[in-house]
Amino acid sequence: MTRLNRPEVYGIVFVVALVVGAILVAGANPFEVARAAVQRALFTRAGFLEALLRTVPLTIMGLGIALSFRAGVFNIGMDGQLIAGSALAVALAPWLPGGAAGIALFLALGIAGGAAWGGIAGLIKARLGGNEIITTIMLTYVATQLLSWLVRGPMQEKMRIIPRSDPIDAALRLPVIVEGTRIHAGFLVAVLAVVATAFVVRRGRYGFKLDVVGQNASAAAYAGMNPAAIAGMVLAVSGGFAGLAGAVEISGVYGRLQEGFAPGFGISAIAVALVVRLNPWLVPVSALGFSLLYAGLGSVAQKALVPFPLINIIEGAVVFLFLAASVMPARVPAGAKSDG
Amino acid sequence: MDEILFVSAVLAAGIRLATPIMLAALGETLGQRSGVINVGIEGIMLVGAFVAVLGAVETGSPWAGLALAMLAGAAMGAIHAYFSVVLKAEQIVAGIALLFLGIGLSGYGYRLTLGASGTAAAIPGFRPLDVLGLAGVPGIGPILFGQQALVYLTFAAAIAMAWMFSSTRLGVIVKAVGEYPAAAASAGIGVDRVRFACVSVGGALAGAGGAFLSIAHLWGFVEGMTAGRGFLAIACVVLARWSPLAAIAVALLFGIADALQIRVQSMMPGVPYQFFVIAPYLVAIAAVGIGSRTAMPAALGKPFRPGGR
Repeated sequence: MTRLNRPEVYGIVFVVALVVGAILVAGANPFEVARAAVQRALFTRAGFLEALLRTVPLTIMGLGIALSFRAGVFNIGMDGQLIAGSALAVALAPWLPGGAAGIALFLALGIAGGAAWGGIAGLIKARLGGNEIITTIMLTYVATQLLSWLVRGPMQEKMRIIPRSDPIDAALRLPVIVEGTRIHAGFLVAVLAVVATAFVVRRGRYGFKLDVVGQNASAAAYAGMNPAAIAGMVLAVSGGFAGLAGAVEISGVYGRLQEGFAPGFGISAIAVALVVRLNPWLVPVSALGFSLLYAGLGSVAQKALVPFPLINIIEGAVVFLFLAASVMPARVPAGAKSDG
Repeated sequence: MDEILFVSAVLAAGIRLATPIMLAALGETLGQRSGVINVGIEGIMLVGAFVAVLGAVETGSPWAGLALAMLAGAAMGAIHAYFSVVLKAEQIVAGIALLFLGIGLSGYGYRLTLGASGTAAAIPGFRPLDVLGLAGVPGIGPILFGQQALVYLTFAAAIAMAWMFSSTRLGVIVKAVGEYPAAAASAGIGVDRVRFACVSVGGALAGAGGAFLSIAHLWGFVEGMTAGRGFLAIACVVLARWSPLAAIAVALLFGIADALQIRVQSMMPGVPYQFFVIAPYLVAIAAVGIGSRTAMPAALGKPFRPGGR
């Protein structure tokens, strides 16, 4: 009985009511919306493949978020880092060799560009103590504008009609690995990234440092670590993940640089990683879940049942649910409830 | 003379462009002084911007639109307060969730209402004032006498907040809650109550900031129209070392950078406009780099657990 009176239960009820209420306000039936979304995402080939395709970048970026949030570093500017990595890779693509080596270099350039963009925030954080939440998001706005210039200026296609670059060489495209679909070898890249990240987090000294710095910066300093330098490094590393995701998207799906090709992925990746408590092994599962949600709701929105931004409401609600649920066991039973 | 007119125009526009950031920064200052970070004020501003337009169209009064936007902002603030103060969840993460929620609610609501009809609804927005009939005076007229009513109210709010912190019991209570929550609690202050109230009022101010964008600066709502102003506001708070008046000054810096880039852009058509648009963001990045490392409220970001650590 008292359990249902707990404040986190109110939080959960409120958040669920918010989503259901939003659907009702649109004059739609929540069950119908859910059914249509599930139907599209899980029981149509196109919907499921679309979700699988989106899972790749969301997984890679979710891993970057998991790494940085573990260290208490809030990189919310992955969208900018993705742009920086993609632009660098496409810009230098004409000089790359073909084949596997070329593709590897293309992806490495993506990582380098993203790491450099994240590294700016990292440097400001490490050297000057500048808050990364502000710098990373500001750098995203800068990157978005620079991309807008690049695809209309120096990197625009030779035809000069559409704001986009010329396609990269076919030899730099990640091959399709499932015949008859667009599922590309980026899948394997994502799998590799999961394994590597999980290994670093679980086994490596680096992962241990991340956790210590994230949980208790002064203890980390006492143990001879340099929390500021580690935080700066983390921003570059997670930026590298964002850049990798961008390069994979271009090499695997789009084949060229254009605007808005990964809309809001960096923000969605935060929800992806938080929901599985920053556990790298579970990031792909979460990424698939959110991708299914996107695929399902996208088609529901096209049928004009509910407007598409419902996805953002749900993302917010899911993170709030996660917060309420994670508070549950940790709460001090007596006293803590007195205020509020 | 031309130079004077140019400076006057840039300053007048800079104040106008800075006002939404000022309002949000004042709200964030209040919340952070009480010990709560809210990185989701960008989301609150978006909701405020949307609700203000909808309210103004439905009631025919921009003031009603503003009031509704502040109410919606307070509600958003209360959501953040519930999770970060009552549930004592990680404040940054709750703020990020609030950002998602704000992006979603504003875009969703807009597409259901005003955005649903193809034609643009006539929006009864605020008009600039002509105080004492002096707005036409060259030079200082547009700056001092030709602003929106909300601009004057924003400055008044900043002065009131500065006075509250420096000379009132309420100000002492808020500061105590943010600096020494345990001591405040033992003095009989309900720490969580004070924080809840500060974050909610802060949300109302951020909502007003969004409203200024959509019914005073521009007349209309566009999805994502705040374009990072909520984060600029957070930068203001940090750079201003949690002082309301200094926050206004820093916001003004961003506003002037914005006003300048718009003007210089039209003077230099050969240079891609994107290089100018990024100016305020670059100023913010540089400012954060230069102006950090300061004494923040000691208990900022830390939930208060009576008798606990």
